[in-house]
Amino acid sequence: MDCDQNERSLEDINTVLEYAKLELSDVKPTVQCIYFSQQLDNQSFKLLELDDTVLETLTNGEKVVIRGNTDDMAVLCTQTNTFEIKEAEISNSMLITPQLDIGEDVDDSGPQNTKVSKVISVMNNYYELRPCKPKVAKLKKLLEENMYSGKECEEDEQHQGHKYCFEDLLNIVQGSEVEIKESLKKLKACQIEGLWRVLDFDFLTQVLNHIIQLCEENDWLSTGIPLDECLETLGQLFPREVIAHVIDCYANEMKSGGGQGDHDPDDQPMQIDAKFFSLSEDKICQFFAELVLKNSGKFNLKEFLKVWEQTVPQGMRTSLSQLEGIALIDRNCMPEVIWYFPVEDLPEDVGERFNTLFKTREKWSLAEISPYIRDLTTLKVDVGGLLTKYARASMMNGIKVFSSRKPVT
Amino acid sequence: MVQVLVSLPDSPNQCPEWAIVDLQGSLETRQPVPLGGKFVGDLHFTKQNVPILIIGHHILYGKIVDMEKPFAVIVKDESSETATDRDTDKNTSVNYVVKALIKKKLLFKQRPKPIIANIPKKL
Repeated sequence: MDCDQNERSLEDINTVLEYAKLELSDVKPTVQCIYFSQQLDNQSFKLLELDDTVLETLTNGEKVVIRGNTDDMAVLCTQTNTFEIKEAEISNSMLITPQLDIGEDVDDSGPQNTKVSKVISVMNNYYELRPCKPKVAKLKKLLEENMYSGKECEEDEQHQGHKYCFEDLLNIVQGSEVEIKESLKKLKACQIEGLWRVLDFDFLTQVLNHIIQLCEENDWLSTGIPLDECLETLGQLFPREVIAHVIDCYANEMKSGGGQGDHDPDDQPMQIDAKFFSLSEDKICQFFAELVLKNSGKFNLKEFLKVWEQTVPQGMRTSLSQLEGIALIDRNCMPEVIWYFPVEDLPEDVGERFNTLFKTREKWSLAEISPYIRDLTTLKVDVGGLLTKYARASMMNGIKVFSSRKPVT
Repeated sequence: MVQVLVSLPDSPNQCPEWAIVDLQGSLETRQPVPLGGKFVGDLHFTKQNVPILIIGHHILYGKIVDMEKPFAVIVKDESSETATDRDTDKNTSVNYVVKALIKKKLLFKQRPKPIIANIPKKL
């Protein structure tokens, strides 16, 4: 029945109401006559389900970006969060009506009247947003294409790989700006002349050794490293950005003034221009452990501990806790051995991570496995949750151990 | 490698609130004819704001649902075609604009009740 949209009369409407056994007094006086628009088009737009944070971001005028290759699944990012975009198909029909009065918007008194409302589209699908972790594994690979080994090496054969600025990374990596910046920090990436680089280990060793040597010569290990002086002295050998970066990674800024924390709020904090840093014992010892183990295969544990102790700067104490997430110790063999096993080199995907871990060692105690899965935890799932899902618990020698739920590939 | 911006239009009145009438199943016509321009049905609200939709010979009772997650109606913003100048392969990315937001829907999930159009006469 082809109806002119103005032709539906109150008489027609009331007849139908009567047959439907509805009283005029049951319903509000405005009746909305719904028609399909002449330009009915089910392809003209997409429906995107909005998460609270995304709606807020949009309303605040902040950036919401969809990122990804055509073959990747697309993600949607605000400044701080990443969401997977998934298409959802439903069996319902959603009639999209731009002008429809709903409930309270409809007057409940007055004379009976009609209003026309048009359906511009019928939709059976929409796009859902599912919060997800940013896909940052790519970042490591990208930055490893051309690792920084010093200014002199930049033009040589090993350094022809692509170099990336932040905007380049945003075009390739599926994550929000804040999350990508956090990842860059975790990778200990450094911005050199506007490009994000990771320092190659040998070069890093050079820089750090120079800094430590300078510290030992000037007794800075006890008084703190004066940043400016250090930059000035070593600036001849290495770019300042690199020196500052290495200090930032391996030392902590010393807060101005005396004791920590008890500031009288009325006191004007003293302005100190010079920045001082104190080397972090844990991070430096960790670095030297890495230096010793990196190219060594399985190292005799007793010997390693001795060598390690001797390598670290005087006055610094080594401790096994510094090796968490860096090395594995096998106490079941004779002699006990240790080898380099960094968490950064393990798969990002949870299933693959557990598979690799169980391939390396059949049974893990909670203390042993936690450093290797901590980076996979989310707000909803903690270490315990991950283990419940991906591992099987059992008892061995009175200790709870975790092993694979399925055959290890 | 693309970045596609999604944004609200510049002025708030360009982004109104639309509504959805959510029906279980699909609407059909007896003959296979295009739906454009066709009458769908009458929508009433009771004094208690219960929506009643009368389509053909059926009456459907529904309810107003405040959507937990509103929909953004997004369309390609043809006017914003930009070539990112840093890209050597001249990546043109078309951005999306939110044309409307949908925060409420009328959900009709109860089985439609038939309306007897002809009251049978006693013989």
